[in-house]
Amino acid sequence: MEERLDFAVYEVFAQADALSPHVHVFNVLASSPDMAMALAEENFFRRAEFVSLWVVRRDQIHHIGHHDREGFKKTPKAYRTTEDYKYLRDKWRYYRDHPMNPDGSEAEGVTGDAAMDD
Amino acid sequence: MPEETLTDQEAYFLERVDRGDRIEADDWMPEDYRQQLVRLIAMHAVSEIMGALPEKEWVPRAPTLYRKLAITAKVQDEVGHGQLLIRVAEDLMRPWGKNREDVMDDLFTGRLKYHNVFHMATPTWADAGVIGWLVDGAAVITQGMSLSCSYAPYARALQRIVEEEGFHIQHGESICMALAEGTPMQRAMLQDALNRWWPALLMFFGPPEKSQLSTHQLRNIRYRIRSKTNEELRQRFFSKYVHRIWSLGLTIPDPTLQQDPFTKEWTYQQPDWDEFRRIVSNHGPRSEARLGLRSTTYQEGEWVRRTIALSPAVG
Ligand SMILES: [Fe+2]
Ligand SMILES: [Fe+2]
Repeated sequence: MEERLDFAVYEVFAQADALSPHVHVFNVLASSPDMAMALAEENFFRRAEFVSLWVVRRDQIHHIGHHDREGFKKTPKAYRTTEDYKYLRDKWRYYRDHPMNPDGSEAEGVTGDAAMDD
Repeated sequence: MPEETLTDQEAYFLERVDRGDRIEADDWMPEDYRQQLVRLIAMHAVSEIMGALPEKEWVPRAPTLYRKLAITAKVQDEVGHGQLLIRVAEDLMRPWGKNREDVMDDLFTGRLKYHNVFHMATPTWADAGVIGWLVDGAAVITQGMSLSCSYAPYARALQRIVEEEGFHIQHGESICMALAEGTPMQRAMLQDALNRWWPALLMFFGPPEKSQLSTHQLRNIRYRIRSKTNEELRQRFFSKYVHRIWSLGLTIPDPTLQQDPFTKEWTYQQPDWDEFRRIVSNHGPRSEARLGLRSTTYQEGEWVRRTIALSPAVG
């Protein structure tokens, strides 16, 4: 077998601004991390800006996903989200117009418009 | 692909493709799918690399500094596209123990072909304009289709590429429009370039299928690697560009070219398909010169690759 040059694949991640996460961009083939960063800049940032750039050797990345996820689809989890609490908005609007008494009963004769609007 | 004799693995793979799943490099895939992809993507990669050369010839001769900067940027983008695609091809060739050195060898020995348009001469500045406007325009029609390719890494590379092609096309449009608005000599230069490029542009999409799809095409359509035929893509090109070309007062060198008002189908003079086969087998006007330049540069850069490969490994 003929001699092969020893290069490694580096995955490239870049952060566009301070509040953004590092996002996977693409990958490069390089002989060292320095070369990988130089190539990443040349290949992916001829126009776009970044504030931070990571290169990670692909064989150092631990990964689950793609085919591993088959059969692990999530069951519906509305209770973990704000999804199930949408009714609150209508209730708050109702109590703004019909505030409760200290005993929890509904106040009589108070119109929301008169009571709340100033 | 006789679908009655599929293994469970193959059937599952096709089912994933059918439901629009995208395939990743490490997923199981039929060997045939891998081969079709390598064939397509390696060809695309070397076409980008060879495609930088015709316009590179105009970098030192661009008419203004602004044009020089812009065409340099475009040439650099094309080489960058080659870099992206050759990585995608390499990941697919890994199980075969092959890498980019094999791709370059195949290019130099003629086993791997590159697009017909990049074998052509670029004698004037108008050729640089027509390449940007119409060759890149034609390429985006093909690549736009391939964005829906079932192989995810290729589709991701194309997303980056197609974004930059937008600039390439407008850069070409701007050159052509400036010439069209120029002196009679400049207009004649543009018309000459269009005459030179027209047959090559039609050839770019490949021979028409005439109701008979090749085995390669049928497989690629089955695998959702491509979704349109050569002829469908060429028809799109006509619909998108013919009126624009006419609107600059240019004449398309095909008196038979016309669109059926009802079917919207374009009829046109077929280019010489034997000539096409000669060109892509490296017997075009500039095939030898450009391959020579590319392989000399590759050999001269050998010591650089060797030196950086031997630099202390990290990790
Ligand atoms: Fe390109
Ligand atoms: Fe381009």
